[in-house]
Amino acid sequence: MTALTLAACGSGSDASGDGGKTGGPVTVKVWAWYPSFQKVVDLYNSTHTDIKIEWTNAGAGQDEYTKLQTALKAGKGAPDVVMLEFQELPTYQLTKHLVDMGKYGANDLKSSYVDWAWKQVSQGDKVYAIPVDAGPMAMLYREDLFAKYGLTIPKTWDEYKAQAEKLKTASAGKAFITDFGGNDGGFMTGLTWQAGSKPYAYDTANPSNIGIAVNDAPAKQVMSYWEGMVTGGLADTKAYGTTDFYNGLGSGKYVTYLAAGWGPGYLASVAKTTAGKWRAAPLPQWTAGADAQGDWGGSSFAVTDQAKNPQAATKVAMEIYGAKNTGAWKIGIDEAYLFPTATPVLESDAFLKKKYDFFGGQTVNDVFVPAYKAIAPFSWSPFNSYNFNQLTTGINGAIEKKTSWTAALDTAQANVTQYATQQGFKVQ
Amino acid sequence: MTEVQTKPAAAPAAAGPPARRSPVKNAREAATGWLFVLPFVVLLVAFLLLPMAYAFKLSLYRSTLIEGEHFALFENYTQAFKDPLVREGVLRVIVFGLIQTPVMIGLALLAALLIDHATSRFARVFRLAAFVPYAVPVVIGTLMWGFLYSKDTGPLGSVLHIDFLSSSWVLASLGNVVTWQWAGYNMIVLYAALQGLPREVYESARIDGAGPAQIAWRIKTPMISSAIVLATLFTILGTLQFFTEPLILQPLNPGSITQHYTPNVYAFNQAFSFQQYNYSAAISFLLGAVVFVGSYLFLFATRKRSAL
Repeated sequence: MTALTLAACGSGSDASGDGGKTGGPVTVKVWAWYPSFQKVVDLYNSTHTDIKIEWTNAGAGQDEYTKLQTALKAGKGAPDVVMLEFQELPTYQLTKHLVDMGKYGANDLKSSYVDWAWKQVSQGDKVYAIPVDAGPMAMLYREDLFAKYGLTIPKTWDEYKAQAEKLKTASAGKAFITDFGGNDGGFMTGLTWQAGSKPYAYDTANPSNIGIAVNDAPAKQVMSYWEGMVTGGLADTKAYGTTDFYNGLGSGKYVTYLAAGWGPGYLASVAKTTAGKWRAAPLPQWTAGADAQGDWGGSSFAVTDQAKNPQAATKVAMEIYGAKNTGAWKIGIDEAYLFPTATPVLESDAFLKKKYDFFGGQTVNDVFVPAYKAIAPFSWSPFNSYNFNQLTTGINGAIEKKTSWTAALDTAQANVTQYATQQGFKVQ
Repeated sequence: MTEVQTKPAAAPAAAGPPARRSPVKNAREAATGWLFVLPFVVLLVAFLLLPMAYAFKLSLYRSTLIEGEHFALFENYTQAFKDPLVREGVLRVIVFGLIQTPVMIGLALLAALLIDHATSRFARVFRLAAFVPYAVPVVIGTLMWGFLYSKDTGPLGSVLHIDFLSSSWVLASLGNVVTWQWAGYNMIVLYAALQGLPREVYESARIDGAGPAQIAWRIKTPMISSAIVLATLFTILGTLQFFTEPLILQPLNPGSITQHYTPNVYAFNQAFSFQQYNYSAAISFLLGAVVFVGSYLFLFATRKRSAL
């Protein structure tokens, strides 16, 4: 019955839409990028008569954003619901391409999410996206290699460095404590986020003002630490996502992998041969005994301004990974390695007590869930692709030319400030 | 145009009856002519002139996140002129072209002369082998070289202990990929030109006492100079638009292959990573101008040899 009401409502509120043509199900077009999403869509379609999801895989991350930007600029071709990472939301909010889902009841969900995650997607009563998954960080490590080289689990970054030095000697320079992926802006931001860096002060309520501090003290602390690790031959610098990087993870060249919440599944798929040898431990801290955390990645569903039936689209965004939608979450967690943001799913036994064979039966979410809850609020800029580009260009250049990493941050600060000014922002 | 011109031309001859029919006949012929070129004209307009006009229009506007779009005349162009990253990219492709073009054309010419000289079955096999890389899609060829270059897992990098994608090697490594891909193609062009030469010339040269090397260098090479110029021109055009190889290899070492490595890569990233469509259009137009001037200068410099 609700089905019919919604379809009718949809067509009534949006005359131009093909929403409720003749009472058949409303079609909602969704872009999302992991292959197992098909099963989630099938599940949704088989349990709904009012709405039918049509899924397109428009590519992951930047690939999808490129297509989305083009479609939004062209004024047609964008989906109704789109998968966006948190850091991309301000860009589309500012250009007014996202529908405020608060109007369609999205605020009801607020209590299901921890504060920082909800703040990532909303502005007061305005809701621009429904969070799906997040990327709290932790340290994945090879238990067997730790034993072989006589390493102990580091609790602080100082200890981490000490273990790295020990490893360098014990392995005669063949193994590294980890690989630092200077090509991944999300990874580097996750690390500086943990240290308390606040690169941007931005509030979409006041969209033309922005504070920029890409080179603040915590960011510099993190970068000079990793500069030391790299120049000391303690950390490798292979670009993430390359064959060499995967090879290093599989061959024991890297004994730890600083991962996000989606990392365990990702690792299990790229380093299959090392199954059972990995374990998870909390991310080392800058101050002994502290509990500071950072986030790397995570996604949400937003409704675009091209949605023919925003109400039905909002319903899809809210329900497809709804807190009560355990079937979808089972697929999401087991097959797409999602780290759920909705607390009822997060705290369910199915997630918390899930044993991972890849981690020797360890319940790794014991590590990730507390980390997720301890993440401090953070704000992104509305030009994240430029921001990440500056970060990766600067740090990679510094690695390649063996120049100062903190100087690279200063350059990034100057460039980002210039860019923001050119874009018409008042930089504070 | 043609129809307008035919009228005054036909007017003085308007005395006799046959001449009176001729404008009609001319017009009909002109119409038939237009009909034949119509498909080409449609494609030219739809896929070249219209997009170019649109891109030019885009390049005259500026769109910012806060203030929206406004007409900016040549602001994007002045920015591009001042942009050190554009200059760096242009300089890089020029240096690249100055080294890579002679190497590639030299190799292609050498291979073509050798194959032309040899008449065994081996020559046919070699001809095919040299041409095969051209048949491999650029993206796949580049990915393959990326693997070969890898210091850890690649057979080349790990044996020679050279980091082929480090900043000191990367330009040479990219040059190698391009040469591998295109030398065979150029070789076929030159070889085809050699096949068209009259064989009697070699005979008289031999009678005059010329050896194979002298025939190749003093007779064959000058006689195919227009083909060499053509191949060189294509190579220059390709070099200035250098794009796919750096873009594909970029993720393997983003420190040495930057997002502004070549002007084309830079324009691509401006448009599709930073949504700077206007600035990207301006860079593309400037690059187009550089390509035009570059190829014109080359043709002008070689006009005596090229017959183009």
